[in-house]
Amino acid sequence: MDEPSEATTGAGAPNPVIEFIGVKKAFGAKVIFEDATLAVYPGETLTILGGSGTGKSVLIKMLIGLLRHDGGSIKAFGQEVTGLDERGLLQIRTRIAMLFQSAALFDSLTVEQNIKYPLREHKWGTDAEMTDRVTEVLEMVGMPGSQKLKPSQLSGGMRKRVGLARAIAIQPEVILYDEPTTGLDPINVRRINGLILSLQARLGVTSIVVTHDMDSCFTVSDRIAMLYDRRIAFTGTADETQTCEIPYVREFIRGGRGTLDEDVS
Amino acid sequence: MMTGPSRLFSDAGGVAILSVKLVAAFFRAPIELAPLMYQLDYSGIRSWSITALTAVFTGMVLALQFATGLERYGGDTYTGKLVALGIVRELGPTLTALLVGGRVGSGFAAELGSMVVNEQVDAIRALGADPIKKLVAPRVLACIIALPLLTMLANVVGILGGLVITMREVGVTATFFFSQVTDTLGAVDLLHGLGKSLFFGYFIGVVGCFVGLNTTGGTEGVGQSTTLAVVNISITVLVSNFLLSTIFVALYG
Repeated sequence: MDEPSEATTGAGAPNPVIEFIGVKKAFGAKVIFEDATLAVYPGETLTILGGSGTGKSVLIKMLIGLLRHDGGSIKAFGQEVTGLDERGLLQIRTRIAMLFQSAALFDSLTVEQNIKYPLREHKWGTDAEMTDRVTEVLEMVGMPGSQKLKPSQLSGGMRKRVGLARAIAIQPEVILYDEPTTGLDPINVRRINGLILSLQARLGVTSIVVTHDMDSCFTVSDRIAMLYDRRIAFTGTADETQTCEIPYVREFIRGGRGTLDEDVS
Repeated sequence: MMTGPSRLFSDAGGVAILSVKLVAAFFRAPIELAPLMYQLDYSGIRSWSITALTAVFTGMVLALQFATGLERYGGDTYTGKLVALGIVRELGPTLTALLVGGRVGSGFAAELGSMVVNEQVDAIRALGADPIKKLVAPRVLACIIALPLLTMLANVVGILGGLVITMREVGVTATFFFSQVTDTLGAVDLLHGLGKSLFFGYFIGVVGCFVGLNTTGGTEGVGQSTTLAVVNISITVLVSNFLLSTIFVALYG
């Protein structure tokens, strides 16, 4: 199970923005990764596919130090992130933003205060500049005028969009999407997919999307990586993924279910 | 899943590590005033009624028992002295800590636990902030400030409760009762109780937050954390009360 994509991104390709090399991770006795290796290149949208409980979210959470790895190397912008303390991670987190699966908006704060939260922490500018930035990012995600609302007043799709607005507020170079379309209705799924694509086009950001939503995957991805058997079993373009011979990958793409132990955590 | 003693030791270690991080957070950055004031209101001011209620009935029952108990030996006129000492040195600080600990500590565990399972604590870190500074510091500081104040309230209300029952049961005047109280209580007794309440405040805050931050397992986990916080805080208060009292008695009598 080599990585066919190496040929496509191959020689002359720019240096990876993000690299996972031989990463190991276990929770107690449960081994999540034995030898996960993956490279993400500037400006691309890479989707990580995998069944529930295979550790897709764990992989991106290790990248920004929300979880600690057990072995191997994780690099962002050429810099090893695994040994960084919280202060060092702060630098990484200004450049890599994350949209959480549950959007993770702060319930007690308004939409505006939620988006200002990272701006304040990173001392983005004056209050007026921050207010302008809030207006700007809310327009980007198609929610102008929602500044004064509380998260409890928003639907699931709106919460995701506000979460995305909060993530892009500090102009990150990389955006991590954790299950961005899970639990949303088809219209909101399409809207989120559209946002992922437009942010890549307008801001030139590099994106890593973690999902098990195949439609979303083929809509937004430049490349696709498949998590299986505690490592990245396959990476390739959308076309390569469609024609991939690896049984598990084919099974996954066809939406086969009920026959694989790994689907059940 | 660890159980029994190993869980106890790992939790104690976890609380110690959290305490070190907390002290570091206090030194690293100025304390944010708005969340501190909010927590002072939530943990302190809104706990006054439960504190007063506990204290008044404790003072009354203490007076009742001492009055009837001491009467057998003809010592019932000493009731005021014993009520004052019992309230100020022991029951004021300890019962306040147990009640406020249950009320406030469970709240901390539930709130922080929900934030953990909804990824909000991860989000705080991902957005470049420190959950210890943002969430734990204001809560712990609010408890450290609030508990001695609530204990003072409990002392006053408890003694007043004792006064009413002593007057009725023993037949002493209020003047006599108060002269007994002021003759008996010294600065050492007050400091003994208030000193302990400082520690209790710290334990309530830090244990409640620790349990909340270590929540796993979704909404079910939040429920378990809430229960665990009350149990752990109560145990911590009761055990540390004995240890602290032993130390204070050895030092100051």
